[in-house]
Amino acid sequence: MSTRGKSRRSFLIESAAGLSGAWVAANYSGILAAEKYVLKAAQTGKPATFQFFTPDQAVEIEAMAAQIIPTDETPGAREARVINFIDRALSTFAKNSQAQYTKGLSELQAQTTQMFPTAAKFSALSSEQQIKVMTAMEKTPFFNTVRTHTVIGFFASPVHGGNQDKVGWKLIGYDDSLNFRPPFGYYDAQPQPRR
Amino acid sequence: MRQYTPNTEVDFVVIGSGAAGGIMAKQLSQAGFSVVVLEQGGWGKYGRDSEYTKDEWLNRNLPREDRLLSDPTRQRNTFRRNDKEKAAPGTHSYGCVVGGGTVTYGGSSWRHLPYEFNELSSDPTIPSGTGMADWPITYAEIEPYYVQAEWEMGISGERVNSPFVAPMSKDYPVPAVPLKSSGALFNTAAAKLGLTVVPGPLAIITRPYMGRAACVNCGICSGYGCHVRARSSSAVTVLPVAQKTGRCEIRANSYVREISVNNAGRVTGVIYFDGQKREIQQRAKAVVLSANGTESARLLLLSKSAKFPDGLANSNGVVGKYLMLGGGAGASGLFEHPLNEYKGVISGAGIVDFVPSDPKRGFYGGGRLTARGYETPLGMGLNGLSPDAPRWGAGYKKALREEANHKMAINCFVTQMPLETNRVDLDPDVKDEWGLPAMRITSTSHPDDIKNMEFFRQKSIEILQAAGATKIWANNVNDSRGGAHNRGSCRMGNDPKTSVVDKFHRAHDVPNLFVIDGSNLVTGGRNHPTMTIQALAYRAAEHLVKAAKTGILRTSA
Repeated sequence: MSTRGKSRRSFLIESAAGLSGAWVAANYSGILAAEKYVLKAAQTGKPATFQFFTPDQAVEIEAMAAQIIPTDETPGAREARVINFIDRALSTFAKNSQAQYTKGLSELQAQTTQMFPTAAKFSALSSEQQIKVMTAMEKTPFFNTVRTHTVIGFFASPVHGGNQDKVGWKLIGYDDSLNFRPPFGYYDAQPQPRR
Repeated sequence: MRQYTPNTEVDFVVIGSGAAGGIMAKQLSQAGFSVVVLEQGGWGKYGRDSEYTKDEWLNRNLPREDRLLSDPTRQRNTFRRNDKEKAAPGTHSYGCVVGGGTVTYGGSSWRHLPYEFNELSSDPTIPSGTGMADWPITYAEIEPYYVQAEWEMGISGERVNSPFVAPMSKDYPVPAVPLKSSGALFNTAAAKLGLTVVPGPLAIITRPYMGRAACVNCGICSGYGCHVRARSSSAVTVLPVAQKTGRCEIRANSYVREISVNNAGRVTGVIYFDGQKREIQQRAKAVVLSANGTESARLLLLSKSAKFPDGLANSNGVVGKYLMLGGGAGASGLFEHPLNEYKGVISGAGIVDFVPSDPKRGFYGGGRLTARGYETPLGMGLNGLSPDAPRWGAGYKKALREEANHKMAINCFVTQMPLETNRVDLDPDVKDEWGLPAMRITSTSHPDDIKNMEFFRQKSIEILQAAGATKIWANNVNDSRGGAHNRGSCRMGNDPKTSVVDKFHRAHDVPNLFVIDGSNLVTGGRNHPTMTIQALAYRAAEHLVKAAKTGILRTSA
């Protein structure tokens, strides 16, 4: 297995820990089924403990987050467990955004139904369709809040629930060791003029 | 720590524990006087600095008791551009913790230049009708106190022989911080354009000094407490020394609402709210007001009495006026190779050739360009990318990958002329959380200041181009609405009709009241105020100790 595959698998294991089987199945079923040790991790992990979201709501918001920072050859918002951060945020310091999420979820449903009448819900749309729905909503306060919370969940310290396995920091090459010696970057490593 | 009862008439109450208040507390208590320091903010991690968080999200959401800056929803303030506008809720905020703004500042420690003390009389191109005035002291008079401040606080830097940098009679105690990639790119641009790059003098030590450890270049710097005590804040330098004298008590969470006077017009003490908002009266033989360049003026205006109906020390109506909030400009650019600007101090190398005003530019002004590397993950993700980068989706992720660590920013620190109309006063409608009239700020920069900002915006772009940036962007210049560099609202001067304090910081109107902080600055220099505030404090303290020992304040030492 390639290094890339290994790292992808390891972040999936990390992601699965602490989730209920049902919640994992709704999100990763196809991928996870192939990896028996991942399933085991999911089975032995603690059940989903969302404080604010229902499991169904979490699926919708996570689908939005996954479009804001998509998964490609590197982890995105989904693998960063941004949903975990947002749920914690809404149960603590961002309590005053709860109503916005509740209302926003129905706006998301309405926008989805309007654009794709046969779709049951946003998360069931194809990626291209999801992008169309979100583009239609990107000027709304709800979208902005989800965007902000997704970015924070991706880049804030993992202790806040997101940025699982520091995937956000890895994306931008941020080293959190908090102790550096020069040279710091490419340019200061070059010979400098004498003054 | 020595403790006094409120009924004990201490020699000095010092209001504020920041750049000036910390030094005053140390100098006065070392000289044998009894001192109570009243700090509006909490203790922070005073004495337990290793507990300061480097968690970017946590630091933005600190619980009230851990806050390091004032909270505009509690320390409410309002802002308007001119007298015709109704002031709207403001965002002005300042250091609010034991140690004041020095606990979290970037540490820039530039001296004022010699001619900045007599800029008005030395430069005939200054437009008429401004509040520009000569200081009552010269550079030669303050120079020894710059040295004292640099050596007692612990400033890193390099003594530079340049007409654009203040001359020094002594080197800095520790060497300058290491060059960052942004500084190296400054060197590249400077070589092409014939400019002068100097390392910024910083209140961040680069080798162990006076029992403190050297900076580890953690990169999570300005806005955070320093977990290794490398930032030379009042909280790790002068305040612990003051406490060790056994004569200085620091009271945190003590918000002064009034400086009290008797019928003879002498200060008798202060009234403050403690952490439970209980009113406490602390008696004192003299008061040193070091609450910052906006709050000191406000407190004088709040301290109305029969003797001083328009506010204490304000018989001439000058208190609050000539406020300078600090102008700025800048630009950002992307480069081919990684800079990793998230490592190291925030305020890097400076380009100083445009410090003097030049009549050829067509306006009065000058300033410094600083390489300002401060690229933290949350800041980068939320609003650090180039302006046309997508905000979400595959394009956003691509931009994150390509721009983070490849970006450098230039921040310019520029002149701002004092104007009588720019001021602090009391909002007639809005009250703060303690029920006191909120601070109202009225400010619009002089048209030359705006042109100066635009000049520096363009210079920033030119320098990034010369350094080889692959993409450059620059926000429109914006007039300041508050912030940490507030100066000038209790200006010093020889004439009691046009200034609030004399050249030794004694209020013209009140013999035992001394105002010592950024509010005294007659002119703003090229913006960075802290080193000049610290030098003024050492100078003021020396005089105050001498004066008090002659018995004029009836102090006990």
